[in-house]
Amino acid sequence: MAAKIFPVIKLATKVTLAGGALYVAHDSGLLGTSKQGFEALERARAAIPPAMEEWMKYFGLEAQLPAVPKVEFSPVQAWNSGVRTSISALSEAPRKASEYSTRGLQYVKDLAK
Amino acid sequence: MSEKELGQKWDRCLADGVIKLGTGLGLGIVFSVVFFKRRTWPITLGSGMGLGMAYANCQTDLRLHYLVPKKDQ
Repeated sequence: MAAKIFPVIKLATKVTLAGGALYVAHDSGLLGTSKQGFEALERARAAIPPAMEEWMKYFGLEAQLPAVPKVEFSPVQAWNSGVRTSISALSEAPRKASEYSTRGLQYVKDLAK
Repeated sequence: MSEKELGQKWDRCLADGVIKLGTGLGLGIVFSVVFFKRRTWPITLGSGMGLGMAYANCQTDLRLHYLVPKKDQ
C-alpha cells in the first residue's frame, strides 16, 4: 500500500515545487511586460540593502564589510558619450595631425641649426 | 519619439532582459533538478525562453510609438 502511494506523493511534491516556483515568478511580474520587469528590478534593488544590513547585523559582520557604493549607470548615456567623443576626435584628427607635424618639423629644424 | 524616451525604453529593455534571463535560468534549474535528473537542456531552454520573451517585449515596446490605434484609421 505504502509502496504504491509513495511514487504518487513524490510526483505531487515535485509538481507542487515546480508549479510554486512558476507561480511566484508569474505573480511577482517577472514574466510580464518590460515595464513590470523593470519595476520588479527596482523593487529588488530597494529591498536588497536593508536585507543585507539585517543579515550583517545578525551575523555580527557590521564593521567588517565596507558600504556598497551607489552606482548610477545608464548604458545609453555611456554609449552616446562614447560616440560623441570618438566623432569629435575624428573631426579634430586632421587639424591635430597637421599641427603636430608642423611642430615636429620645426623642432628638427631647430636641432639642425 | 524623443531621445530621452528612446533612452528610457532601451534602459527598460536591458533591465527586462536581465530579469527574464535570470528568471528563465532559475526556473530551468528548478525543473532540471525536480523533473529531469539534473540535465543541462532545461536550463538552456529556460534561459533561451527568457531571452526570447525579453526580445519580444522590447520589440513591442519600441514599435508601440509608431502603431496607430484601429479607431483612428
